[in-house]
Amino acid sequence: MTITDASPDADTSAPPETVEIDQGSTAGTDHKVIGTLFIAASLAFLVVGGVLAMVMRAQLAVPDSDVVGGNTYRQLFTMHGTIMVFLFLLPLWLGLVTAILPLQIGASRMAFPRVHALSLWLFIGGAGMVAAAPLASDVLGGWTLSNPLPEGAGFTGEGVDLLILGLIVVAIAALAVAINVLATVLQLRAPGLTMARIPLFSWSATVSSAVMLLALPVLVAALLLLFVDRHYGGLVFNGFTGSRGGNALLWPRLFWFGAFPLLWALLLPALGAVSDIVPVFARRRLFSHQRAVVAIAAIGVLSFAGWGSEVANLRRARPLFALGVLLVMLPVASLILNWLATAVTAVRQDKSLKPRFQTVSMLHVRGTLGLLLLGLAGELVAGLDAGGRSHRNYWGVATQHSLFFGAALVGAVAALYFWAPKLWGRHLSEKLGKLQFLALVGGLFLTVLPMFVLGIQDMGAHTSSYVADSDWGPANLVATVGGAILMLGVLLLILNLLVSVVAGKGEAAGSDPWGGHTLEWSTTSPPPVDNFRVLPEVRSETPLLDLAQPETQPR
Amino acid sequence: MTAVTAAARTDATPAAAPAAPLALPSGVKPTPARVLPDRTRALGTYLFMVADAMVLSTIVAAYFAIKDGSSAWPPVDVGVGTYIPFIVTITLTMAACSAKWAINSVRENDSRNVAIALVFTIFLGIAAANAEWAAFGKAGFGVGDHAYGTFYYVLIGYHLAHLLAGVVLLGLLAGRSLAGHFSADHHDPLRSGILFFQYTNAIWFAVATVLFVFSRVHG
Repeated sequence: MTITDASPDADTSAPPETVEIDQGSTAGTDHKVIGTLFIAASLAFLVVGGVLAMVMRAQLAVPDSDVVGGNTYRQLFTMHGTIMVFLFLLPLWLGLVTAILPLQIGASRMAFPRVHALSLWLFIGGAGMVAAAPLASDVLGGWTLSNPLPEGAGFTGEGVDLLILGLIVVAIAALAVAINVLATVLQLRAPGLTMARIPLFSWSATVSSAVMLLALPVLVAALLLLFVDRHYGGLVFNGFTGSRGGNALLWPRLFWFGAFPLLWALLLPALGAVSDIVPVFARRRLFSHQRAVVAIAAIGVLSFAGWGSEVANLRRARPLFALGVLLVMLPVASLILNWLATAVTAVRQDKSLKPRFQTVSMLHVRGTLGLLLLGLAGELVAGLDAGGRSHRNYWGVATQHSLFFGAALVGAVAALYFWAPKLWGRHLSEKLGKLQFLALVGGLFLTVLPMFVLGIQDMGAHTSSYVADSDWGPANLVATVGGAILMLGVLLLILNLLVSVVAGKGEAAGSDPWGGHTLEWSTTSPPPVDNFRVLPEVRSETPLLDLAQPETQPR
Repeated sequence: MTAVTAAARTDATPAAAPAAPLALPSGVKPTPARVLPDRTRALGTYLFMVADAMVLSTIVAAYFAIKDGSSAWPPVDVGVGTYIPFIVTITLTMAACSAKWAINSVRENDSRNVAIALVFTIFLGIAAANAEWAAFGKAGFGVGDHAYGTFYYVLIGYHLAHLLAGVVLLGLLAGRSLAGHFSADHHDPLRSGILFFQYTNAIWFAVATVLFVFSRVHG
């Protein structure tokens, strides 16, 4: 097992082949710096979106409340949804993926470093436009930009134009990152690292990028047509097909065709991160790397099958979309079983390889798993009810918040605790982390569980006030308290990042603090600008584990 | 930290020493990191084309969805001229040929022919853009007159924007070609730029087919 005593080989002392470092590898286009800035921006928008949610929860805490009026409430849920999907979840993954993926596949840079920098600043510009929209005029359409139809009453004004253009810019920035990630994976993998051996976080990022490459343009085109309609008097979603006009019912179809796979694409990296974290702390290989690769790819493909379940008026195709929603759950279930099999066999393995399941990263893996199961249960019901009421009352809200928000957020936090030592050379505080875990995951469950109850009680998703006679009071109060605890968890996470990383108070990390399996742990923490001078030989999907436990190497 | 138990690893390298070669156990045969292969820009262009084609496909799908719900498409009293789109198609076909001439020349290390071919392509591209602008002026209907009109302006405008971007790109590449940046062995940027230009031609053929073939032409 120990190979440190081996005498230095002649090969090691030989100077490594010079690696070309062009302008693309200087600090301004360093993928780790840009990724970190994406993460910082996304966390800032998480706080903004969270504060908006807290105002809404304050309004809903008790019956007959008038914290905010109906109009303001509609603006709040519009901006909350838009910010959380496009300005928080999206850049969070763009950041984590671009910071870690080149390190995981043994690349010294992104394929297009300057395009990477451009996409960061495009994103910040677009995000500014989106965030400024409500300052220009009322923005009332919800994050789906329909009220319920895109050009309904009250959905006018420059604010909406700004929102549409801002979303187009953000989507183009994300597309640029997706192209960059795909080109990096296709061109810059370390020698020996075949596509089947790509670490699962990078693989999930690859699949997620491919999904975005196909789904985001649909959103861009729909937004473009909507902008032409609103700004130049076009007739795509306006008027009636019988009288020279277009078809307003087209909007939700185009929107969800792009947005539904996008939501899965934003959850996929969380699943990939967990698939990489579990084996490291279990101190063994994943139960089946091959099955996980297939499952993640299948999630990407099948995510395109269920979009119609969110659309209210697709009567004939409803069973088809219900089937689509259910099909995508099968590979997710396969992935979950893969994690569980890894953990269970790790507990039984050799005493010298005791699993370390008490780290904060692993706590968040458990949180991800819990929210994933809850969200899948909700999605199971919502899928069977494709196009039905459960998509327009709190059942849909609860499902989206446990699956696409909760599981993705907690999975990302697990990834942050896992990769922070590598990216920034400092561990996040484990003590503060345990407290933060309780607040974040406890708060999430306390928020979404009452929302499922409200779904059963058929409270409309956009209800801004309710009378004391209704039985919605208790669940709403619990959800508000849960939301406050969740917000506390978010602030504790940011505090931990500020204290441990920004202020540098965290424990300094060696190059491989966890006994990692993949290439990113073979370089220093933080890595140099060009990541690697030399790489270990890659003969499986876990090159570093092959060095540490050569006896368990397959074949 | 409870987690730091990987005794088998040598972690003697200080965390913030960028000059350190690597934290690799000694005795392990190192492999140098891979440098960027020359064809990467062309790959990026292909990926961009996939995304861009999805935007176009969505607009075309919306076009057919609305067309199928309409009794007459375009409306009965609306005439669509086919003269200008015919001229644009011929011009762009010639531009596609001269772009191919440029890429064949660079493969033979003939940078003079590359520059001539690119200037030719740029000229034809500007001519086609001019004709498309005329197609707007002579349409006889506006964006907001009927749904066909909206798609007419959006689809032709979509191609026009791509064409102008392609012309600017070819201008930059002509300059780089004259400066001697490309050779038979190394011309990935030129190949990518011409790939993009040929893709804009494909957009035109799709747009023209949708607007002028898959519509009933009246009067």
